[in-house]
Amino acid sequence: MEPSELKRSKDSPNSDESTRRSSFPDEVLERVLSLLKSHRDRSSVSLVCKDWYNAERWSRTHVFIGNCYSVSPEIVARRFPKIRSVTLKGKPRFSDFNLVPENWGADIHAWLVVFAAKYPFLEELRLKRMAISDESLEFLAVSFPNFKALSLLSCDGFSTNGLAAIATHCKNLTELDIQENGIDDKGGSWLSCFPESFTSLEVLNFANLSSDINFDALERLVGRCKSMRVLKLNRSVSLEQLQRLLVNAPQLAELGTGSFSEELTFRQYVELESALSNCKNMHTLSGLWDAKGIYLPALYPVCTHLTFLNLSYAALRSDELAKLLAHCPRLKRLWVLDTVEDKGLEAVGLNCPLLEELRVFPADPFDEEIIHGVTEAGFVAVSFGCPRLHYVLYFCRQMTNAAVATIVQNCPDFTHFRLCIMNPGQPDYITNEPMDEAFGAVVKTCTKLQRLSVSGRLTDLTFEYIGRYAKNLETLSVAFAGSSDWGMQCVMGGCSKLRKLEIRDCPFGNAALLSGLEKYESMRSLWMSACNVTMNGCRLLAREMPRLNVEVMKEDGSDDSQADKVYVYRSIAGPRRDAPPSVLTL
Amino acid sequence: MELQLGLALPTPNMVKGFDLNNHGLDQLKEMGGLEAWNKAAGCFADKDCVKSKRSFEQAFGNFTEECRTKPLLLWSGQPNEEEDHKDQKKATFSTTDENDAEEDDQVVGWPPIKTWRNKIFQQQQQPRVGRAENNRRVAENENGRSIYVKVKMEGVAITRKIDIKLYQSYQSLTNSLITMFAKDKKCDEDDYILTYQDKEGDWLIAGDIPWQ
Repeated sequence: MEPSELKRSKDSPNSDESTRRSSFPDEVLERVLSLLKSHRDRSSVSLVCKDWYNAERWSRTHVFIGNCYSVSPEIVARRFPKIRSVTLKGKPRFSDFNLVPENWGADIHAWLVVFAAKYPFLEELRLKRMAISDESLEFLAVSFPNFKALSLLSCDGFSTNGLAAIATHCKNLTELDIQENGIDDKGGSWLSCFPESFTSLEVLNFANLSSDINFDALERLVGRCKSMRVLKLNRSVSLEQLQRLLVNAPQLAELGTGSFSEELTFRQYVELESALSNCKNMHTLSGLWDAKGIYLPALYPVCTHLTFLNLSYAALRSDELAKLLAHCPRLKRLWVLDTVEDKGLEAVGLNCPLLEELRVFPADPFDEEIIHGVTEAGFVAVSFGCPRLHYVLYFCRQMTNAAVATIVQNCPDFTHFRLCIMNPGQPDYITNEPMDEAFGAVVKTCTKLQRLSVSGRLTDLTFEYIGRYAKNLETLSVAFAGSSDWGMQCVMGGCSKLRKLEIRDCPFGNAALLSGLEKYESMRSLWMSACNVTMNGCRLLAREMPRLNVEVMKEDGSDDSQADKVYVYRSIAGPRRDAPPSVLTL
Repeated sequence: MELQLGLALPTPNMVKGFDLNNHGLDQLKEMGGLEAWNKAAGCFADKDCVKSKRSFEQAFGNFTEECRTKPLLLWSGQPNEEEDHKDQKKATFSTTDENDAEEDDQVVGWPPIKTWRNKIFQQQQQPRVGRAENNRRVAENENGRSIYVKVKMEGVAITRKIDIKLYQSYQSLTNSLITMFAKDKKCDEDDYILTYQDKEGDWLIAGDIPWQ
């Protein structure tokens, strides 16, 4: 008998009765459930009956916690005894844009202490928007002998010293994925801490670290890790060095190049092209920092089987992009900077019929002088050529209702529609009307819509549309929009599947906040900042709904009765005890 | 010296790129810029009061043909071009001096670009000096001696920067500006008034104080 079954029969004295009642033995049930990966399916399974709840909790090996404060590590450990992989998310998403105070919380350390005691065989830890110190990384490195995969996305509080600890101690590491973090980069010597005997690394992503690493150490590391499939270099790695790495790692599936701009001799260029053409498995390409157009043809052999091309660090012109895309017929995901302009996007529409995801980032988001970038025309052009498009993130400086209507007519399958018209409150630039009809068209046509970010000048009508039509909407982001409480009330009343709502700078007040009273427990969280919500409104919410944590972040010098930033989330762990003084829990 | 000069031209056409519509006015009040603009409106003494109060809207919203004297708007930036590449605390619609730290009117966290991505843009700007895709970079050569002022004409999306040191009088400045903007818009010299915003945020008609 498996140890888990032995333990269970000790724990449940009524096990004889329950096996008689259930339709098949628990061993079979657990075996079947162990095949379930989706945490939502597992949650559903656990609600069926007590037997299934128990079978599910014993067979779960990966736990996903979308809000680290919704539950405590002790509660997690008590319910799920056999976890080997944890995904944890911490701060509200607006912390990415500096709207959350520095010391807000979401520190991983308390979790690590519990994990070290309860899950000594922990293998994977994936964190998003958590605070993690070097001490915590060292603790992690020495506490879990089987530790395999560390992924840090948008985290902060640590330095490259912490990475050195991981490299030094984690003998079985397969994945080190350090993305977009507020890391204190003290130098690249951490990379040299991988022992010469270490060969298990499969994923190495240090693209967002700025300092130079010891290239010889890297070359040896890549050379001896024969299973490496993902390698994302930082900008300090030159083209010539890239070629040397690729020669020893033709098996790579995902490559983030370093700086793609230094001068190459003709011979070096040929060698680079040859090394790239040997990478038959490569389906994802990124990096290309400062890419010079003349070297892009070296990528052509790889482009034919590329499915994901991330050019968001390469300020390409429209003609450069067009030439490159002519070689990328299988592209499904494309990220670009708006330096490619509408003409570049026309090339996307012409060359990439299989495209499913497009993200266009602004190269100069804060400079209002720029009149380049992309407009509605580029987006429309893509929609005509790419009917399978379902995920878009689009930063632009002008848009029209008619264009958006055309776009969703061409691409009715949008699941994620994130449109950012960068000038707050800007109307349709041709008709001067609000952008209500644009988002109305989106929600009416795209019935599968899960995520929506709105922008431009919007009245309550937009929110009436959202509440009435966006029945599958789970995440909504709103800024500088709406006319009155009614807008938010429509959303709270109509979007039954809403899980995350983040609002800033909108005229929604207490009536709007309180209209969602019944709803917040079925949501992960609500964020409202620079709206018209008062402390009294928040206190009322906190009083009526004891299972919600209602937190208010006060700004210096603001009116005491106004609730500047409000963060509301459901929790079974009660109010948190690690809040800084600027955060009040009501 | 920090100058903010104002030249506004009402036009029936929609102003591209600067459509601060009426709805946005309320939100703009916090931004401080609105006060500046309203003062500007109040200062156009020889105009119809109603129309001049609307001059802010005229700047960024709908226009009518009625207002005959049309103010041109300028506001200044620092000479240092590096300061263009700021963190996200800078307002996207800077009706105010972009470097005026006293006015806490900048929109934090907008547009919603992740902090680390901004850092990358800033890092990337330096090596791109050679590219000179727009006329921002040109000013770097003349650091220290020049005083740069941003000039915006209503009805034109592009903001330009000029070095005030190159001019000897208000008239020559105005003439030059008209010529500069004539490429984008047909202008008749008489229709324009040069206004500027001083350190206190008051809008004044250029010409009252001696050029020096």
